[in-house]
Amino acid sequence: MIVKTFNKINLGVHQQLYSSTLIALFHQTKAMKKITTQTFIEQLETDTRQVMVALKRLQQQDPELLLQQPAPAKWSVAQVIEHLNTYGRYYLPKIREELCHNNFPASTYFSPGMLGAYFTKSMKPKPDGKIANKMKAFKNHSPEPNVDSKTALDEFDQQELLLLQLLNKGRDTDLSKIRIPISIAPFIRLKLGDVFAFIVAHHQRHFVQINDTLAAIKSRAYSDV
Amino acid sequence: MEEALKQLKKHLSAVHPLSVKEWEDFAAIWQTVSYKRKTVLTAAGETERHLYFVLEGVQRAFYVDVDNEATIVFTYPHSFSGIADSFLTQQPSRYFLETLTASTFLRTSFQQVQTLMDKYHNAERLIRLFTSYALRGVLERQVELLTFSAEEKFKTLLKRSPHVLQLIPHKYLASYMGMDATTFSKLLASVRIES
Repeated sequence: MIVKTFNKINLGVHQQLYSSTLIALFHQTKAMKKITTQTFIEQLETDTRQVMVALKRLQQQDPELLLQQPAPAKWSVAQVIEHLNTYGRYYLPKIREELCHNNFPASTYFSPGMLGAYFTKSMKPKPDGKIANKMKAFKNHSPEPNVDSKTALDEFDQQELLLLQLLNKGRDTDLSKIRIPISIAPFIRLKLGDVFAFIVAHHQRHFVQINDTLAAIKSRAYSDV
Repeated sequence: MEEALKQLKKHLSAVHPLSVKEWEDFAAIWQTVSYKRKTVLTAAGETERHLYFVLEGVQRAFYVDVDNEATIVFTYPHSFSGIADSFLTQQPSRYFLETLTASTFLRTSFQQVQTLMDKYHNAERLIRLFTSYALRGVLERQVELLTFSAEEKFKTLLKRSPHVLQLIPHKYLASYMGMDATTFSKLLASVRIES
């Protein structure tokens, strides 16, 4: 009975977080190394600004284009952004709260946690910019079908700015001591540094998807002519 | 660092000299930072917190459009860099700043510059003079963009800063002059034949 429950929880946490994961986790423990907080934050800031350039381009696109679904049951660009917004709405206020109330002394180094590093790795696009594994969104992060593209993009823009501010604040604390419950399984609390890395990798992942979506819509538009 | 500060001092003295004490305080606010190529240093919507003095590499400030980007300005050694209007007004930037090649800077913050300007009238004058020259450059460029033909823009660039042809990828130079890349390469080819 206990075993059964445990399995259920694990499956609920993550589609792949199961036996293969445990093996992957085991392999990762050796490879993980500490990094200076400065370098760690700087990389995440750089990645976030890169996403903001792509976002700015989207904001100038025809809003109609952003609402088109590339295929039945596939998300429009606006839906992808809204999906990201649901994460931001959950995490950013929590992170801000923690950063305001905790004053752990700044730590020179940060070492990713086992689970955190795994989540980030599973999200991040491969070095060639492709997505390795498909995933299905969790119910609480599924976007509504009728999203307003401008509202969604503007909200995400604001979230990115807030994220940059929070990352900057992260320099003055201990990214390992602050812990944040994750949205899909609140009983798991990840190190703040891991949550930051996860959020940014998740953004990068979906911006790859957005590029593919726009390409699919545009090629379809041409073939219609 | 010492060599870098020497370059900075040289750059400042050409515009407005500082006293020994003023320079000592001014030199103390800078840090060295390095970035890889194609790193976005400031995003639109962010407020520019930094003033950079370029030691190595090329950077550009740009505005993003749907499919292309309007390049506003390039910076390279030894000049100041950063999104100037956002830095001076401490209002959100409408532009992005990125490194085109691996870059090294001296960097300081608005807060530190502000403190020095409050302390020394001369520091404020120095910043004002640099801003004035920047404004002059912007207005001059405005006229060129509005009145010059593609060919005239290209010739002016060659005359004024021929070294940028080696330094900066041509698609960005084309964007800077408001022409498309093919026009730019045609103009470049014509010059090569003439010379």
